[in-house]
Amino acid sequence: MILRLRPGTPEARVTALVEHLEAAGVRTSRSPERGRPIVATVDKVPSELRASVVAWPEVEAVVDPVGEWRRVDRGFFDGPTVVDVGGVPVGGGSICVVAGPCSVENPDQVQEAAAIARRSGAQLLRGGAYKPRTSPYAFQGLGREGLHLLREAGDAHGMPIVSEIMDAAQLPAFLDHGVDCLQVGARNMQNFTLLKSIAGARRPVLLKRGLSATIKEWLQSAEYLAAHGCDEVILCERGIRTFEPATRNTLDLTVLPLLQQWSHLPIVVDPSHAAGIPGLIPPLARAAVAAGADGLAVEVHPRPEEAKSDGGQALLAGELAGLVADARVMAAVTGRHLASQLPLPSAG
Amino acid sequence: MQPQHRNHLSFLDRALLNLLEERARLAREAGGPGPANLEDLCARATGDFPAHALREVMAAVEQGCAAAVARQGGQS
Repeated sequence: MILRLRPGTPEARVTALVEHLEAAGVRTSRSPERGRPIVATVDKVPSELRASVVAWPEVEAVVDPVGEWRRVDRGFFDGPTVVDVGGVPVGGGSICVVAGPCSVENPDQVQEAAAIARRSGAQLLRGGAYKPRTSPYAFQGLGREGLHLLREAGDAHGMPIVSEIMDAAQLPAFLDHGVDCLQVGARNMQNFTLLKSIAGARRPVLLKRGLSATIKEWLQSAEYLAAHGCDEVILCERGIRTFEPATRNTLDLTVLPLLQQWSHLPIVVDPSHAAGIPGLIPPLARAAVAAGADGLAVEVHPRPEEAKSDGGQALLAGELAGLVADARVMAAVTGRHLASQLPLPSAG
Repeated sequence: MQPQHRNHLSFLDRALLNLLEERARLAREAGGPGPANLEDLCARATGDFPAHALREVMAAVEQGCAAAVARQGGQS
């Protein structure tokens, strides 16, 4: 149950309400919303207690989430959440493009990929340093060195960086290199130990949808992050496993209008992993923006044929520029706009 | 005019406005109204919208974007 109090409710009354609930053994959670106080009950509320609380004059509305989440529910925040990733806003009418190579491979490759991403209009640089590969014999990433190279490339091109974390033990390396957004990959979406461990790191988290995760399971994972201190969560739809073998996954755009009803969190779409085929990525990206995506995550590589991972789905420079141009038009038609790039660092 | 036609035209007008807003925003960010590519655009105007009208529209677009850039200059 989420209690939306009237704007301007005195703090003393909010505290009284919270104490009333907690005295009855019901834990509560306060919204970071500034416009109005919002209180969610964590535990099940007995019907008599519910009736008494709802009758408080300060309670303007009561929202019952459709799932077992509280803080990520639409009713827990008045507006859409805008996540600040190193100065780039994600959500709230501002659309971002996260681009970069699947894996950081060497200094030249990541610098070239960053230059392409920047020139094409992307705001954020992505790149994997720790890679969750299906085969234990496949390239596993450069680890800490990869984060270092990604940080250098991001700094050189004025782009905050996003990289996937697979294990809580890697967190110090991510913090040491100032990774602006921690990505939790599809395979770790329900690694609750990892989610709890990184939630306190005070970094935005890009939470990819699990390969076969339902939308409710996905939001439950986002709630894990929020419940443990991280309200800056970006959801990322990257395709789900279905009976269809023609594409790597099936991009589920249904999540966009549905999650906008269920949650206040921004949603980014990754058409690269969904399709697995470069030619399908631009139309899927256009569809995603048209359907309300707050951002796009795409892979780009200066020489896809030499890529150590997922080269087959990487875009070339010209293709990425076209995708970003299309996204700009689709955003404008739907009354939104592409986020601005951060200024380039001064030469001196 | 039938209501659905009126609705469709209103939708397109809003979309045009949104695109113009985006163009002005981008021009402001770039610090100039940007290339109009007028001849190229007019060469593409082979549909219902006549090229001479397109020229007038684009002249107004450039003027509007230049005003957005100038306004920013005045603010900074």
